[in-house]
Amino acid sequence: MTNDTNSSLTRRRYIKAGGAAGATIAIAGCLGGGDGDSDGEETTTASDDGGTTQSDDGGQELEIVHWWTAGGEKDALNALIEGFEQEYPDVDVTNNPAPGGAGSALDTEIQSRIINENPPSTFQIWPGKALNTYLESDVLVDIGDSVWDDGMRDAYLDGVKDMSQSADGEFVAVPLNIHRLNNLFYNVSVLEDAGVDPASLDSPSALLDAMETIDAETDAAPMAHQTQAVWSTLQMWEDVLIGHAGVDTYQDVIAGNVADNETAVRESLQLVADFREYFNEDAGSVAWDEANGKVIQGNAAFIHQGDWAAGQYGAAEDFEYDSDWGNVAFPGTDGVYHVVADSFVMPTSNPSPEATEKWLSYCGSVDGQERFNPVKGSIPPRTDVPNDEFGPFLTAQREDFDTSDAQPPTIAHGTGVTPQVKSNVEAAFSAFVGNWNVDAAYDELTNAF
Amino acid sequence: MRSRILRVLRPGEHADAESEQQVRTDGGTSADGPQHDTSDSDARADGGVTGTAEQPSRTRRWLDSEFVKSLPFWLPATLLVGLFVYGAIGWNFVISLTDWTGLRQPTYDSFDFEMYEVFFRNVGKGGLLSGPHTQEYWALRNTFVLLIVFTVAALVVGLLLAILVDRDIRYENTFRTIYLLPMSLSFVVTAIFWAWMYNPETGMINETLRLVGLGSLTQQWISDPQFKLFAVMFALVWQFSGYAMVVYLAGLRAIPTDQYEAAKVDGASLVKMYWRVIIPQLRASTTSAAVVLMVFALKAFDFLFVLFGTRPGPSADILAMMMYRESFGITNWAYGSAIAMVLFALALGVIAPYLYVQFKRGEL
Repeated sequence: MTNDTNSSLTRRRYIKAGGAAGATIAIAGCLGGGDGDSDGEETTTASDDGGTTQSDDGGQELEIVHWWTAGGEKDALNALIEGFEQEYPDVDVTNNPAPGGAGSALDTEIQSRIINENPPSTFQIWPGKALNTYLESDVLVDIGDSVWDDGMRDAYLDGVKDMSQSADGEFVAVPLNIHRLNNLFYNVSVLEDAGVDPASLDSPSALLDAMETIDAETDAAPMAHQTQAVWSTLQMWEDVLIGHAGVDTYQDVIAGNVADNETAVRESLQLVADFREYFNEDAGSVAWDEANGKVIQGNAAFIHQGDWAAGQYGAAEDFEYDSDWGNVAFPGTDGVYHVVADSFVMPTSNPSPEATEKWLSYCGSVDGQERFNPVKGSIPPRTDVPNDEFGPFLTAQREDFDTSDAQPPTIAHGTGVTPQVKSNVEAAFSAFVGNWNVDAAYDELTNAF
Repeated sequence: MRSRILRVLRPGEHADAESEQQVRTDGGTSADGPQHDTSDSDARADGGVTGTAEQPSRTRRWLDSEFVKSLPFWLPATLLVGLFVYGAIGWNFVISLTDWTGLRQPTYDSFDFEMYEVFFRNVGKGGLLSGPHTQEYWALRNTFVLLIVFTVAALVVGLLLAILVDRDIRYENTFRTIYLLPMSLSFVVTAIFWAWMYNPETGMINETLRLVGLGSLTQQWISDPQFKLFAVMFALVWQFSGYAMVVYLAGLRAIPTDQYEAAKVDGASLVKMYWRVIIPQLRASTTSAAVVLMVFALKAFDFLFVLFGTRPGPSADILAMMMYRESFGITNWAYGSAIAMVLFALALGVIAPYLYVQFKRGEL
């Protein structure tokens, strides 16, 4: 029996080596034959190190599970992997995407693999409270010493460092990119037709008035939005709450004190319900990018969305930053950088501990973040990444980030509340986007935390 | 050699063995020696010493019995189904009795029905009639509505189509293919089609209504809580009535033409003929189509997931969706398993009475 297993393993290794050699030739021989040999040696040492499962006969094989498979995201990850392979040529990267369902397909795969004690080397996850499930089960490795060196600690802002830590202050995640949530994008010509100056809007109520004007003056929908999936309306409410009642109230609410802030919560829900009058008529039947397309076509004036929406503007023809589209911080949220982040972690029972550490260090490095973020359309969490690669829009976002007074986390994208609370809040909003009943939503929110 | 071993193993029967050896030495010279030897050793394997003529035939009778002969035909399938279907259901039930959450292996040290208590308490929370209702209530209600309404509607539409196609029409095969085609499409494709058709601004359905002057009937089909589940069921019926049609068509073809003629001779109208003579003979088709359609009703998960993600909202939430959220969204494995068992009981509860009646009539 043992013999059988061994021989099949060896055979598999031969095939793998053969495949690798083939691939090497195919990519115009970047790696010589010597590399192949050293690969084999590394393989043996690594399986001596942590050989608990059969599958890790390639200890220097790094399996990355992520959900970045759409256009720009995929290119960004490929750029990151390319840079990593240049930096650490001895590691073989296995790119294993688990796309779909805004990350829920990835959750499914990762959770079953962790329960079976067969986790990948590293996987993508929202930092912050979203780590809670994994931390409670104690399946993430403390990387405070191995990855978070002093250079990295100095370069990250405090709000982001907090998100990377467990409750006891152990570093467990490496944030790779940051998106801003509190943006209000607009189509310049539609606003000019309506005579609305976006910079003058200083509160969600002012935005409501502006939308009324746009509705009266133009044929465009004042606000592009989608209510088919819950998250867009949830994130809109978050920013309406910040804009209406201030960031401290928001922080207090996501800490669970909904009833103490009853007026603020009710009024912000009411504002969202009022906004609804000005959404595109088919908000309930479109995805967010279809809604965003309406801004590009000039069929909608505003959209509240994370700055991933700007990627779509960049891809559109004849739709330029400043002249055709612009953005302001969501009215009332100046000085706030509402953070959505992605990070990588190191699960326990790791098939390739050394390679995972190398990967995480690279994700936290200037080089890695400089390759990844401009393509992804996000800003690097490190503040010392040079601006050269970032276009005018992202450079402006970076300035806002560096000068921001507060970097609150989010509910809709997992960083601010535990998965259980997030699920409860989503339940409240899944009813709210159907009936727009403020009282019912408020009652459900009070029970959600 | 063998006799020596036997002598060592069974010293008490030493004499016996010796006599046998003598027999063998004797028989060894005769022509039918080897045969004799075989039966002898057979008998010994059975443990008997005397009555060697009866014993081998018992073994052979056992080997020749229909039960053993049929083994290769049903045993592998039974083992596989037993393990992967009933074993999995059983294990799922066991998990639903634990308190398993999180990403560690479950502990099987205490079993109780707590998860089911929580579920049914939440279903009744706020009153069954008044509200506000919990997600458990909505998921259970919608699943029930979906199981019943979708299955019945798909059966009725399928039966009508089958009768029409069976009326010796032209291009029968073409029509059959057209009606069956939607079923071959993936839910992902059809869900996106229907999302476009239901689009209130540019969708086919509202456009058509406006075109024929019924603009007042246009609706926000898949976002208005009033119509959401209806819209989903309509799309599912469109997709699966073709399947019911094919099953019914096979059933209709099995009915001899004499019966149609006899009914006609007796003066039955067309409707009466089908209602009294033909449809009652389609029970077996109805059962098999209903079982499969219910499975598809549970698969509405795919359809809803493509349209709404994991949160279709109270008006279209179903147990399968809730089970997925509880298990993979927030790792409440035990609760998710309990929901799965409720779903299982629901499907079984709908189909069991029908199966029982069929069984009593000897039609299964």
